[in-house]
Amino acid sequence: MEYYTYVNIFETKGLEYLLLMCFFALFIYLVRYLSGPGKKDSAPRDGSAAGGRMKGAGH
Amino acid sequence: MNTTAIGTSEFNRVASFIWQELKPRGKWLTPFNVISIPIILLGIGILYFRFVYGIGFVTNLNQYYPLGIWIGFDVVTGVALAGGAYVITFVVYVMRMEKYHSIVRVTVLNGLLAYIFYAGALTLDLGRPWHIVNPIIGNSFGYNSVLFLVSWHFLLYMLTMALEFSPVVAEWAQLEKARKFLSGLTLGAVIFGITLSILHQSGLGALFLMAKPKIHPLWYSEFIPVMFVVSSIYAGLSMIIFEGTISHKVFRDLLAGQDHHRYEEIILGLGKGAAITMFVYYFFQALLFIHEERWELITDAWGYWYLLEVIGLVLIPCFMYAYAVRNRNLGILKVAAVLALLGIILNRLNVTVIAYRWYDVDKYYPSWQEIVVTLTVVFTEIWIFRWIVTRMPVFGKRR
Repeated sequence: MEYYTYVNIFETKGLEYLLLMCFFALFIYLVRYLSGPGKKDSAPRDGSAAGGRMKGAGH
Repeated sequence: MNTTAIGTSEFNRVASFIWQELKPRGKWLTPFNVISIPIILLGIGILYFRFVYGIGFVTNLNQYYPLGIWIGFDVVTGVALAGGAYVITFVVYVMRMEKYHSIVRVTVLNGLLAYIFYAGALTLDLGRPWHIVNPIIGNSFGYNSVLFLVSWHFLLYMLTMALEFSPVVAEWAQLEKARKFLSGLTLGAVIFGITLSILHQSGLGALFLMAKPKIHPLWYSEFIPVMFVVSSIYAGLSMIIFEGTISHKVFRDLLAGQDHHRYEEIILGLGKGAAITMFVYYFFQALLFIHEERWELITDAWGYWYLLEVIGLVLIPCFMYAYAVRNRNLGILKVAAVLALLGIILNRLNVTVIAYRWYDVDKYYPSWQEIVVTLTVVFTEIWIFRWIVTRMPVFGKRR
């Protein structure tokens, strides 16, 4: 299957701009979501650790 | 006492210390040993036949399929998973985020061993492995090949990581002056290492640019090098979470007490970084998908396979990471890390093996010997890792 296909780079530009705008809007939302207060006061939950709380590790 | 006598006495002390350290410790009859020892012995036997009778004797490789799992998994995937070393050293030494300082040593050790073993596995795959030094010594530099860049970067990055880890070795051997000197070189080594690492992660992707007609169009793009770099960031972060979780259980007695409570914060921070990187990577994929008009390619089995990789093992773990960080749920965070790692393995294998010559009827499948040798490489690395962390001050304590 030794062939090449050539892509018209202007054909999809509209959709690409739309996608980029979605990306920037969602990226701001994601960063704000990750930086939000969450459950900071509560202990981290870990189903695998005994007692539901990580016994801790570190390196 | 003259200088020569002092030098000899110091040498004898270090030699005697290393001899003591080489002696085995701990229980021998563990599940990991029972599984790994027979596989390693079998792997060594297979490698004997590989080097005596040639690569075709033990593998299913041929002129049409020159890249098997020794390259696809050991080298290309292994190097991506070792990306945590350059990410964490950047975060700690350049961004000055001291929160992650306690995981630098183990992450650099993991990276160093991964490069030694996985990139070292490249020699198994070369028909004439002794030619591996050619790009270095100039017998034939081959500087019009991407491999010239990759080989130099691998060599220099391995030396750089060895330098980054060397203060730990000096501390272990109680060579205080050497430790101070080597510690002073760390920042320079880190900056050099980050530059090298980013370039050869993309260099590995660039190797496949010349294989455009052979790789399925869903996996081929001119931006493979960029995609390899971006995905290596979250691959490295996920690997640190995965490895840290196992180390936390296996080497619990070696972990310094003050680090125990910081562990949750560290892996939640890593999960946050992974979520953001995966989000960016996913949109890169979406952009390529639209730009290269791949709509009609996703209606067959290859398309479903692609969607499994991009949605099932990139987008979903990305959301899982975000949810886990927001809700401080370590269980979901670890599942997300495993899914992200599976996604990276699948992506690299798709590019190198699975979607390579996808149109062929007689596809390449790895022989059982190739799988055993791959397991041998992985298990040997784990053995060496275990030996080092139980003796050197990698986690803070020694056995």
